Amino acid sequence: MDLSETENTFNPPIGYVVGGGLEANLQVRLTVPAQQVQEGAFVVMDSGAWRFYGLVTDLQLGSTDPRFADEQSEQRLPPRLANLLHGQTLFTNLAVMPALMMERGPEPGSPEYASWRQTHAEPEKAKPLTVKTIPSHHAPVKLADEADIAQIFGKENKAEIFRVGETREQGHPVCLDLDKLIQRSSGIFGTTGSGKSFLARMILAGIIHANHASTLIFDMHNEYGPDGTSSDTGAEVPGLKGKFSSRVSLTGLGRDTDFGRLNADITLEISYQDLYPEDILQLTEELNLKETTASTLDALFHQFHKDWFSQFLSMESGTQVEDENGNKHPAPESVEFWADQAGINRMAASALLSKLGRLKNKAYLVDRKESSGLDQIVNLLKKGEHVVLSFGRFDSDLDYLLVTNLITRKIRSAWEDWTTEYLKTREKAKEPRPLVIVVEEAHKLLNREMASQTIFSTIAREMRKYYVTLLIIDQRPSQIDDEVMSQLGTRISGSLGDEDDISAVLSGLAGRQALKGMLAKLQPKEEVLMLGWGVPMPIPIRSRRYDQTFWVELLSETGTKKNLEERVKRLGWASDDPE
Amino acid sequence: MEIREIQIGKLLRADNSHFVAGCRVKELGAPALGALCKVSLQDGLQIYGLISNILIMDDGLVRQLVSGVSLPAEYTADNRYNRNLPVEINVLTVGFQQDGVIFHRLPPRPPLSLDVLQLCEASEVARFTGTGRFGYFRHILRMVDSPLEELLVSHLAQARAAHEAQGNAQWYPAACQELITLLRDDYVRLASVLNALAELE
Repeated sequence: MDLSETENTFNPPIGYVVGGGLEANLQVRLTVPAQQVQEGAFVVMDSGAWRFYGLVTDLQLGSTDPRFADEQSEQRLPPRLANLLHGQTLFTNLAVMPALMMERGPEPGSPEYASWRQTHAEPEKAKPLTVKTIPSHHAPVKLADEADIAQIFGKENKAEIFRVGETREQGHPVCLDLDKLIQRSSGIFGTTGSGKSFLARMILAGIIHANHASTLIFDMHNEYGPDGTSSDTGAEVPGLKGKFSSRVSLTGLGRDTDFGRLNADITLEISYQDLYPEDILQLTEELNLKETTASTLDALFHQFHKDWFSQFLSMESGTQVEDENGNKHPAPESVEFWADQAGINRMAASALLSKLGRLKNKAYLVDRKESSGLDQIVNLLKKGEHVVLSFGRFDSDLDYLLVTNLITRKIRSAWEDWTTEYLKTREKAKEPRPLVIVVEEAHKLLNREMASQTIFSTIAREMRKYYVTLLIIDQRPSQIDDEVMSQLGTRISGSLGDEDDISAVLSGLAGRQALKGMLAKLQPKEEVLMLGWGVPMPIPIRSRRYDQTFWVELLSETGTKKNLEERVKRLGWASDDPE
Repeated sequence: MEIREIQIGKLLRADNSHFVAGCRVKELGAPALGALCKVSLQDGLQIYGLISNILIMDDGLVRQLVSGVSLPAEYTADNRYNRNLPVEINVLTVGFQQDGVIFHRLPPRPPLSLDVLQLCEASEVARFTGTGRFGYFRHILRMVDSPLEELLVSHLAQARAAHEAQGNAQWYPAACQELITLLRDDYVRLASVLNALAELE
């Protein structure tokens, strides 16, 4: 976009630069009533050949002399004089965090402009740079207009440039580059009731609609797949399955998961043979396992291989036999007998057997040779489709930890193999399909104690190069491992009250201090702050409403044949065609 | 438009920034504190000033008369209309006009003795004060040992009337704003000036 476009429309200044710097933020003297500007406003400053983009992080009242502020001169002076006095001696300063700068060149028509154009053939293709210098004194400051915001955040294109909300003051659209979002792991945060689930639904709808990645959604509370009901308004909340019926597969954990009017596309039952010792070790806290567990599991796997879980659960605890001398020994079918044979402490083995008994009652764990649904999930994801796994009645932390880890481990292995194969030839057709794994209540999987044990921290750290990233959704980001948080590219946060949570969301980012207050003051259910690597600069926005209008806007594009075909598919008229 | 010239005195002494004119007591009805006046030099230079003080001098006769128990009315009249001692009019130089262009800086040279001091008409007041951006205020604000606020309020009242007579109601608020800008770092002085200006509202 040509910057001169934005200069043709009248956008009056709201103030001018009076001081500050890169470290301490710029100070801007406001020339309009303070109420016309809010914390978080996106502003532009033209100075010389550059345009600077910044974020208002604070508004401060000031006076040329404190006595002018102390004295209520309006009670002593006639209104006109008092107004004139206040206009000159009392003022509001904005603290503006400079974020980006872009070369705009000399004034069009000036002698310098012609020579500048010779070295800048396509100024409309200029990209914003991270700010490295500052505007001059008295540089005019304006609220960013629609074109300025589109210049930085992109213009909605019904595909990867997805409108996620509007600026708070003037309602200009703010977009998110979904391709960039899925390149690295990302997070959506906010307290209960802050609207993060609606925001997550919306972004997932955008990803599915853009069709640039597959998604696997671990739907702990059964709210992403089928239609639901808003707990606040009672209104129906469309689920992803209803809107993308042919591209989203509803998966139920166990046989009797309830999807309301919908049927499960896949029923997931996990074979004992798909359980590995590391899956159990990840349940250390939930099952209260001891330090000896690892060696016991090792011995079991060493002896029985993939049958270890089935064999172990078939052992009996405490059964004894008497020899001819009347001495009692562990019976051959007992766990103690196996422990003696394997050189494992009897008590440790017996205790582990007792604790693993909790898993024996899980209906989704089956003592069969093969799992049902597991490979189907992986294959659908590889084909570019989307899977919502509902936990149904198995909504305990134990179920969540076990199943998410197990599936994700399988996916990791598949995508690593896929990528290795692709790198041999680098044929575009063989390039792995990007996959986003959506994890709710992420702190249960990625807390400081668990992070080193679960597969998820590995994905957050390393799987980007294997085309797999996480989208974590959580209300307590401070509980998530620091290293994982530091790996999150894009962070979108609703209101957070806890100081530690706010610090966690801002960890590793420039301008943390300035953004802290902004995060704490977001309007619940309405406003979010976008920040991090995936967005050009931090910006608070009024988030788009997840309602009927959203769906009409998202799905009612016109244009290319490809779009039309996809639309037809989404409507279910060609749902059996492979994509 | 023909400008009626009102002579109010003749120059006694001058420097670049001030001058003093004298007039007879009976001529004292015209000049007023804060009024804009001018001296036209022979080379076409016109020097503008604001009347910053008017002094009534005494002499031995007045002292004797004042100390008398009763003073006949004819003595008072004789002293006012026939005495030789002039009334002194102090003028603060605020600018000049050369070749038809008004400047708000000090003139290149002061007026000479016995040059005629004239009171400016309203239209000329509006023209002089409406030129530029109140640059002549700096001469006024430089004054010390003088009732600055009173001079300002008197001058602004006169100039405001001159501008409003020409349909320009914006001059006065702009002048007040400029004064506030110039004095905003001097709380005490600004507060005093604003108190004085409050009387004009």
